Amino acid sequence: MIAVKDRLRAEPKSRWRFPVTLEGMLYLLPSIVLFAVFLFYPMFKTIYLSLFLTDAQGNAQIFVGLEHYSQLLSSPSFRASLKATVLFVLYTVPAGVILALGLALLANQKLKGIGFFRTLFSSTMGMSVAASSVIWLFIYNPAIGIANTIMTTLGLQEMQWLLNPDTALISVAIPTIWMNTGFSFLILLGGLHNIDASLYESGKIAGVSDFYSLRKITLPLLSPTLLFIVTVSLINSFQTFGQIDILTKGGPMESTNVIVYSIFKDAFVNFNIGSASAQAVLLFAFILIVTILQFKWSEKKVHYQ
Amino acid sequence: MKKPKILLTLLTLTVLLLAACNGEKETAEPEKAQAATKDGKTEVVFWHAMNGQLEEVVDDLVADFNEQQDDITVKAVFQGTYEEAITKFNTVAGTKDAPTVMQVFEVGTKYMIDSGKIEPVQKFIDADNYDTSKWEKNITNYYNVDGVQYSMPFNSSTPVLIYNKDAFKKAGLDTEKPPATYEELKTAAKALTTGDQYGFSVLNYGWFIEELIAAQGGLFVNEDNGRAGNATEAVFNGKEGQEVFQLISDMYKDKTFYNSGQNWDDIRAAFQSGKIAMYLDSSAGVRDIVEQSPFDVGTGYLPVPEQSEWEGVVIGGASLWMANGIEDAQQQAAWEFMKYLTSPEVQATWHVNTGYFAINTDAYDQDIVKSEWEKYPQLKVTVDQLGDTKTSIATQGALIPVFPEARQKVVGAMESLYQGADPKEALDQAAKATNDALEMANRKK
Repeated sequence: MIAVKDRLRAEPKSRWRFPVTLEGMLYLLPSIVLFAVFLFYPMFKTIYLSLFLTDAQGNAQIFVGLEHYSQLLSSPSFRASLKATVLFVLYTVPAGVILALGLALLANQKLKGIGFFRTLFSSTMGMSVAASSVIWLFIYNPAIGIANTIMTTLGLQEMQWLLNPDTALISVAIPTIWMNTGFSFLILLGGLHNIDASLYESGKIAGVSDFYSLRKITLPLLSPTLLFIVTVSLINSFQTFGQIDILTKGGPMESTNVIVYSIFKDAFVNFNIGSASAQAVLLFAFILIVTILQFKWSEKKVHYQ
Repeated sequence: MKKPKILLTLLTLTVLLLAACNGEKETAEPEKAQAATKDGKTEVVFWHAMNGQLEEVVDDLVADFNEQQDDITVKAVFQGTYEEAITKFNTVAGTKDAPTVMQVFEVGTKYMIDSGKIEPVQKFIDADNYDTSKWEKNITNYYNVDGVQYSMPFNSSTPVLIYNKDAFKKAGLDTEKPPATYEELKTAAKALTTGDQYGFSVLNYGWFIEELIAAQGGLFVNEDNGRAGNATEAVFNGKEGQEVFQLISDMYKDKTFYNSGQNWDDIRAAFQSGKIAMYLDSSAGVRDIVEQSPFDVGTGYLPVPEQSEWEGVVIGGASLWMANGIEDAQQQAAWEFMKYLTSPEVQATWHVNTGYFAINTDAYDQDIVKSEWEKYPQLKVTVDQLGDTKTSIATQGALIPVFPEARQKVVGAMESLYQGADPKEALDQAAKATNDALEMANRKK
């Protein structure tokens, strides 16, 4: 950067020189090309398509302006999708992060054989969404699943986990938390390893309790990692698709029809590409707002060393 | 002098990257459908949605065809579920990558006709003077619109009532007389509901509701079920639909009906594990159920309300469509393949190995079918039910472009019954949502 500035000053104005911005653009060219092809073009195309009725192949046919948007915003079905999405995020993100943090704190002890537990706790990372969902599908099976066997052994009533609109979303959230914990656990454990041990020693010398050192040393120093995990979990949670598709297909009564699944269904089952695009644009706006809020909030709370 | 060098490197990298992208395209080239393969044979690409054991049967049939003659090579490609396959077809329809023969589920019929990417098989029937008199009319009628045969039926099935004969015996019911009316169904279900066992169940899947409505002679949409013109309004919330929903609602409240969700495997597991004693399944699933159940299994016709006349069943399953805009030689080769598939021998093998119907009734005279029916008399019931079906607009089945969406709405309505919703209100809501979807589809025309 300094070299460029020096050259700007040194070179007489009359002489032709390669425009600096253009030069900078050339450096950025590879990423600009990739972004343009794989991100910007699809994004603008989505916005464009959301203003049209399309044929089944996704070609724009009739211009309808903002009709898709007004229809979506007044449709109870879309509002149900929004609600399901928000609830799903609330069910999975806090629970998943707290669980992973708890496991990471446990696994951070220096004990014999702790490696075994670390492997165990992070093992769900190696499971594909499809495979784990199928396992949970069998667990939840109302007739032959183990979930109901446990319920009856405990003397409780059998439940139709995935078939009752009141429990379906939670029943999808539980496997999701289970699947995501492995990854969060691993990252948080890495974060814990990076905290300087001498701080804890000083704490010990000062005679503070374990809980106090957790609150005053561990959590502040772990906050950048926590922010990362919360952000990633949040985005993951918003984009949940596989487990919904396999476990409930958005049902019953649309109680698990999160926006991403609703987009998929509209675009590739019902072939309403226009309306699906409008939903995608709304989801984008929604995530954008949440992310901005999150960063605004975290600027104050997150402690960078 | 340093900077230009870097620039050069960057440019080279970009060019290389672009070249790499192109390279991928080129390697994909040989996969494309070509009119003739290297050995001078005409290639027919056949996309289908048959997985598991069904795929093996399809592959065997295709291999036999390829061996039998020297001019045509058929390449069968599995493309996922019906929905996935039709989505993929959409993206390539009208291009070189499009398949020559495409398997599409029955509810995609209107959609395929409207797509304009297909050639009606009627053209080849006429040109070839092909004798269609041996075809099972109740099957081919579904794919016949305005007297034009659009596609070749391939795997066809209907719903049947399946029941546990051992449970019937235990409950003191006649094991050879499955309930034929809603009243009998309710009484039987009540007798069968004991402890852990529920009397009856229907999968939360729109197809069964359509069938139960058609069995009473009810229509799904206006304009003669969408066959006289573009349907504009759903009529499945009429008298017949209300009967069906009232039955489910009553039985559910009575605790004799079990909600088994949307998953076919779940309802079959529930039946096999003795959780439910009667349920509706596809005729194509009958053989497996009979084989895998640890008890005696019986099959029966779809029940109807007492006061209604039994009209019959609508054919479900899928048919084969021919692409247009391809070379004549390819279309001709695809037609040869279709003719082979409908021959009595192939249809007999197909019926016996899969449980789907034979569209060529001569197939039922083949020895392998006869011996199979002796072993599995339950299969014959399904064929009889289709044979007894009265040809009418109701049993011909509805023709609408937004079928998947309509089914989702019906399923939603069905699910709301288990939450205590009023049957009529639930149906009306589903009908209204379907009307909106129909209106949207009609605007695109």
